[in-house]
Amino acid sequence: MKARLAAFMRERTATSERQPYMIEGGASFAYVFGQVLVFLLLVEAVSGAALAAFYSPSSTDAWASVAYIQDQATWGWLVRGVHHHGASAIVVVAGLHLVQTAVAGAYKRPRELVWWLGVLLLVLMLAWAVTGYVLRWDQAGYWANRVEIGIAAGTPIIGEKIRQLALGGNDYGNLTLTRFYALHVILLPVIVTLVTIAHVVLARRHGTTALRSRPAAPRWPDQSLRDALAMAITFAILLGYVISQHGADLASPADPAASYDARPLWYFRWLYELRELAGSAEQIVAMVVPGIVAGFLVALPLLDKRPERAARRRKLWLGALTGVLAMIGALTVMSFARDSGDAELAKRRVTAEKLTDHARKLARENGVPATGAQDVWSTAPMWKARTIYAQKCMGCHQDPKDRKGPVIGPGHGSRAWIKAFLLDPSGDEFWGRTDLVKNSRLAQQREAEEKARKEKDDKAKQPDDKPGKPDDKADGADGGDAADKPAKPTGPQDLAMPATTLAGADLDAVVELLYAQSGAADVDKPKAERGTKLFEEHCDACHSLAEGVAGASGPGLAGLGSRDHYTSFIGNPKAAIHMTADMSQMPRFDKELSLPDRYEVAQYLVWLRTATQADLDALGPLEPK
Amino acid sequence: MGDDPDRRKFLKVATCALGGGVGLVMAVPAIRLVLDPAGKQTVTTPKEPLDLGSIDRFKISEPPQRVEVIAPVIKDAWTAARNVVLGAAWVRRIGPGPADLDARSAICPHLGCAVGFDATKGNYLCPCHDSRFAVNGDKLTGPSERGLDKLPIEVVDGRLKLTWVLYRMGRSTPEPV
Repeated sequence: MKARLAAFMRERTATSERQPYMIEGGASFAYVFGQVLVFLLLVEAVSGAALAAFYSPSSTDAWASVAYIQDQATWGWLVRGVHHHGASAIVVVAGLHLVQTAVAGAYKRPRELVWWLGVLLLVLMLAWAVTGYVLRWDQAGYWANRVEIGIAAGTPIIGEKIRQLALGGNDYGNLTLTRFYALHVILLPVIVTLVTIAHVVLARRHGTTALRSRPAAPRWPDQSLRDALAMAITFAILLGYVISQHGADLASPADPAASYDARPLWYFRWLYELRELAGSAEQIVAMVVPGIVAGFLVALPLLDKRPERAARRRKLWLGALTGVLAMIGALTVMSFARDSGDAELAKRRVTAEKLTDHARKLARENGVPATGAQDVWSTAPMWKARTIYAQKCMGCHQDPKDRKGPVIGPGHGSRAWIKAFLLDPSGDEFWGRTDLVKNSRLAQQREAEEKARKEKDDKAKQPDDKPGKPDDKADGADGGDAADKPAKPTGPQDLAMPATTLAGADLDAVVELLYAQSGAADVDKPKAERGTKLFEEHCDACHSLAEGVAGASGPGLAGLGSRDHYTSFIGNPKAAIHMTADMSQMPRFDKELSLPDRYEVAQYLVWLRTATQADLDALGPLEPK
Repeated sequence: MGDDPDRRKFLKVATCALGGGVGLVMAVPAIRLVLDPAGKQTVTTPKEPLDLGSIDRFKISEPPQRVEVIAPVIKDAWTAARNVVLGAAWVRRIGPGPADLDARSAICPHLGCAVGFDATKGNYLCPCHDSRFAVNGDKLTGPSERGLDKLPIEVVDGRLKLTWVLYRMGRSTPEPV
């Protein structure tokens, strides 16, 4: 049956029965590397085809589609991991293949061409990896590519043209990705396939260089089993590594404005380290050294010409090759050691990782805006309000050093916050740092009087008496350490609100009443009702709770802590209903911020009332800086 | 030793088993990934009623008006796109009450072309295969198996809210996809 089928196929394919392909000196594990490489290329082809069914090479979609593969498509992370780390496996096995060939002296006449095609394949593999790394369009791939293209652009005369051709124009964009994608999935696969076929066909024609003086053995199945075993072991290691790493990494979306500690793929780290060491000569080093290494590999069969194959009689050239490989290895180790010894870098990496996790989470949960992956940050909850807050409000309300106004943070406007405020309105957390407390008109007046009195005293008593220590009252007028005592001298702070004299259940009732102004759902109505009477007794002289009515000498408190109140306050804190120009330094924002923007910020402030620091942290970073 | 037929057979079987196994392990994740979108809601369109503007423009005994159905957000695999046109509806007033409106999907029930309104004849015409539909949506002539599909609508505060539904083509009764 089998024989008949074989005969049938031979006739249909017009081939004759061939003698089995024999391996001189017998089958050996030393010969598996070439087959394993072909197998790994197949792994890349299969995984690459699957990835291509999801990937979108455009500057708005590339990162988003890779994040989709990584985080949403079933087994996408596995296939992407196999593809990414499979490329690393190719570099490793190609290195072993090269060393094995060199040690066996298999590059010698008449096999020089096979060797040269092999060196060409190695260079093509590295170029292939470069074209693949940029496609993810994350910070890592994007910045690594910028550096690589920067090096290529340093080529004398044609450098700028190379850059423009690679990028598809003057800058990174859609055409960069479509170009690298075309190179990566069409041109390079075709070229590598053709060169590989030439390499393999020539190698087969010449046959292997016999390692031992054993009888020849047929390739099938003696060598084939060893090949299959080697493939299985390689793939098992690859798969194990991919699973242990949960596939390949994916940093946050490419952002030309955000700095990033870009590192090339590990097999280029030796060049990266060389550039670090070369200092100002980095451009030359980056161009020339790879050229020298490639040139040495190409020249090897021409230099090591004697027909002698035994390794121990070719110490000079094998020693030179060992030297080159040892240099590459040492530089690689140095580069990684330099990074792992850098504490600052480690800190930046932790920050970058946080950003990455945040961006990926947002992409997974909200999708990426059609405007591009760099806008994924804007899908975070209250992003717009938080961005405005960070730009316009934080400096005065949160910065520990330069803060000029009351602290705004989690719990702002809560019962606890209102209570603390009433007990110490001039506290550092509240009005303490404002001009309202620091330079109230009466305080200035007192200061001036004090100064005048001192001058008078000095004139009368001079010269033996030193300027007297300011007394307690003057100290209070200065207001510098307004936070130290809850009961403040109320005199000097003429416009600033005095601390409340209420306490216990009475204070809680007024707090409840003020809290109720926000419209919160959990108001204790009877308690707030009790507060109304107390408010009339203690607060009504300055404040008002009537809708749209300013107090006699303080802000109207109707709606305090509600979204509308915040919106109006942010729009113009100096309005008569709010703080008036005398009592507020805060600029008005009704020109700078549109009403919807102020609404958003107000909504955020309302959210802060019930938020904790943990809630705030959970919102994640705004975007990379 | 290389000539022992049992040993050779074992080598061949072992090679095929090993090679086949590796190939399978390699191919399965890739195939699984490619099959992933099948049966998944990769493009999600809103199921809730969409605001299509004020109802004031629909006047009694006037010809139907073509209204673009715009989704505020749709999710398309990895993209969340805003203000995406899902399709169009033909809307006309059929009574004096605010909610007395009739909305028909502009997707031809025959093979899915966009149906237009022929003002001179006062009925709908599908430009692809000449199906004609009466102004009330009933099938008149042509290959379509059924009349134009009615879309669920409601009127809230003087605004038209329409729920976008896709129906299977080529059936005699409307079945949502």
